[in-house]
Amino acid sequence: MNNSLPFSLGRVGAIAGNAFLEAVRQRVFLFMTLCAAALTIGSLGLSELNFGASEAKFVADFGHGALVLFGSVLTIVNAVQVLGGELEHRTVLTVLAKPVRRGEFVCGKFVGSWLVVLVFCVLVTALLVFVLWLRVPAAQPGAAGEAPQAAAQGVGFGGVALAGALQAVKFGLLTAMVLLITSFAQTNFFALATSSLVLVVCHLQYLAHDAWHAGHGWGVRLGGGLIGLVFPDFQLFGGEEYLAASAGELLAPATRAAAYGVGYTAVFLALAVWSFRRREI
Amino acid sequence: MNTSDTPSPRPPALDVRHLTKDFPLGLGRLRLRAVDDLSLSVAPGQIYGLLGPNGSGKSTTLKALLGLLAPTSGECFLCGIPSEDSAARRAVGFLPEAPYFQRFLSGRELLRFHARLGGLPRAGREARLEEVLASVDLTGAADRRVGTYSKGMLQRIGLAQALVHDPEVLILDEPTAGVDPVGAAEISSLILALKARGKTVLICSHLLTQIEEICDRVAILHRGRLLAEGPPSELAGLGDRQSLVVENLPPEALAVFGDWLAARGGKLLGVEAAPARLERYFLRTVAESDPHAAAGAGVAAPNPLRR
Repeated sequence: MNNSLPFSLGRVGAIAGNAFLEAVRQRVFLFMTLCAAALTIGSLGLSELNFGASEAKFVADFGHGALVLFGSVLTIVNAVQVLGGELEHRTVLTVLAKPVRRGEFVCGKFVGSWLVVLVFCVLVTALLVFVLWLRVPAAQPGAAGEAPQAAAQGVGFGGVALAGALQAVKFGLLTAMVLLITSFAQTNFFALATSSLVLVVCHLQYLAHDAWHAGHGWGVRLGGGLIGLVFPDFQLFGGEEYLAASAGELLAPATRAAAYGVGYTAVFLALAVWSFRRREI
Repeated sequence: MNTSDTPSPRPPALDVRHLTKDFPLGLGRLRLRAVDDLSLSVAPGQIYGLLGPNGSGKSTTLKALLGLLAPTSGECFLCGIPSEDSAARRAVGFLPEAPYFQRFLSGRELLRFHARLGGLPRAGREARLEEVLASVDLTGAADRRVGTYSKGMLQRIGLAQALVHDPEVLILDEPTAGVDPVGAAEISSLILALKARGKTVLICSHLLTQIEEICDRVAILHRGRLLAEGPPSELAGLGDRQSLVVENLPPEALAVFGDWLAARGGKLLGVEAAPARLERYFLRTVAESDPHAAAGAGVAAPNPLRR
C-alpha cells in the first residue's frame, strides 16, 4: 500500500490514550483488579493451608498467582475488546476514515492495552508488597533493600517487584499475540477462544522442548521444534524463584527474559500490523 | 510561452474510475459482485447524491473511496490522491450509516480524539470543539457519555466528528437516518451552508425529497451498476416544466387559462390537487411553537461552521 503520510507518534498516542481511557472505564478492569486484590488480601486468612511453607512465602505465592491468573484474563479480554470491539461495532470506520495509517492504529491499540495491564500489575504488586510488609512488622529494609525477616521466610521484596515487572513484560507479549489473532478473527468469540488456547500452549512450552530434544520419531521432534520456535515460552517469565530471591540475585536472568519478551513482542506486533493492513473493513 | 504560470486545473474532489468490487462467498470461487465497473466524478463544491436500493453498492463504493476496502479492479481518488494512500483522507470527513461510537467516552472526549486524529493543532482545538458542538446542538450534552445518547444525538455527534477537522470533502452515509424532521432539516441546512463555503459533499440517502432539494447532481445505482447520472431535475424530466399553485380557480376559467398559455408558447399539461406537504406543515408548526427549532429548520441562517 502506498503511504505518503509519515508515521506519527502523536496519532499513536491519541489512539493509545483513547484505548486506555475506554478500557479503565469498563467493568472488566475494575473487576479483575478487585478479584486479584481480594485474593491477595484473602491469602492472609488462608495461611494455615500453607503446606509447610512460611506464612510470608504462602502469601507471596498466593498474591503472585492472583496477578498471573487475573492478569492473563484481563490481557486477553482487554486486547480483544479494544480491537475486536471496534471492528464489531464498526467504530473503526470513523477512525480509519481519518488520516491514520493502519500501523499507527494497531500500535496505538497495543500501547493502550498494555498500559491497562501495566497499571493492573503495578497495583497488585504494590498491594502484595504492602500485605507482606504488614505481615512482617519488624522488617526493615536492609542495605540491599531487603527485609531481613521476610527474607528469612523465603521472600524478598525486591524479588516480588521483579516478578511483577516480568509478568508485565509477559502480558505485553500476550497483548501483541492477541492483537494478531484479533486482526484476522471474524468474531470476538473466536479471538477469545484462540487466545486462551495460545496462552495454554505458551505455558506448556516445556513439553514442546522435551519433544524436540527427546521425542520418538522425526514427526514428533519436528512438531515439537516448530511449536517451540513459533510460540514463546511463558515459563521463562518465572514466578517462585523470583519471589524468594533478592532483586540483585536474579537481575541478569530477568533482563534476559525481558529481552526475550520484547523481541517476541516486536515480531508479533509486526505480524499484527501486516495482517490488519490486509483486512477489509 | 511560459506554461508554468498557468494554474493547473483542480482535480475532481472525488473520482471513481471503473471500480469493481467482488466479495468471496465461502471457500469456493463463488463471488458476489457488489460494484460493477462504476465510474463517477464529483467536481469540487458540488453536493452529489448517491441513490439506490439496499444492496446496490453505495456503501461499498464509499468504503472503496475511503480506502477501507481494496478494489478488485479500478481506482478511486480523493482530491487527486489515490484512496489507498492514508494522506488522501486528510481532506475528508466521513459519517457512516448508523454510526456507533465508543460508549464510555463523553461527546467532548470523542470529538477531541477525532480532532487529534484529523491533525487539528492543539492551539484553537478546544475552541473548535465548542464551535462544532454548538453547530450540531450538543453543547449541553457534551460531557455526557456517548452510551447515553439517543439515536438522533449519535447521528449529530457523528456529523460533528466528520466536521471537526474542517475537511474539504464530506462523505455522509444516510445522515438523516433516525433523525426527526426538524433535525433532518437542520442537517440539510448545514449541508447547504457547507456548499456555500466551497465544500464538496457526497451524500447517500433514501430520502429522495431531501436529495432532490439539495443535490446538484445524483447517480442512481442498482446491483452495483450505474443506471443514471445527472442533475435531479434533468433526470426527472422536469427541466423545462413549471407548476403553479392556485386557489379557487373555476373550471370555466381553466379553458381560458389554457388558451392564454398556448398563445404565449406554453402548454397546460394537466390539473391535479396540490400535493399535501406534511413535512412543510410539520416544520412550520414546530417553528412557530419553538423559536430555537425554527433557527435550525431553515427559518434562520444556519451556523456556517467556520474555523
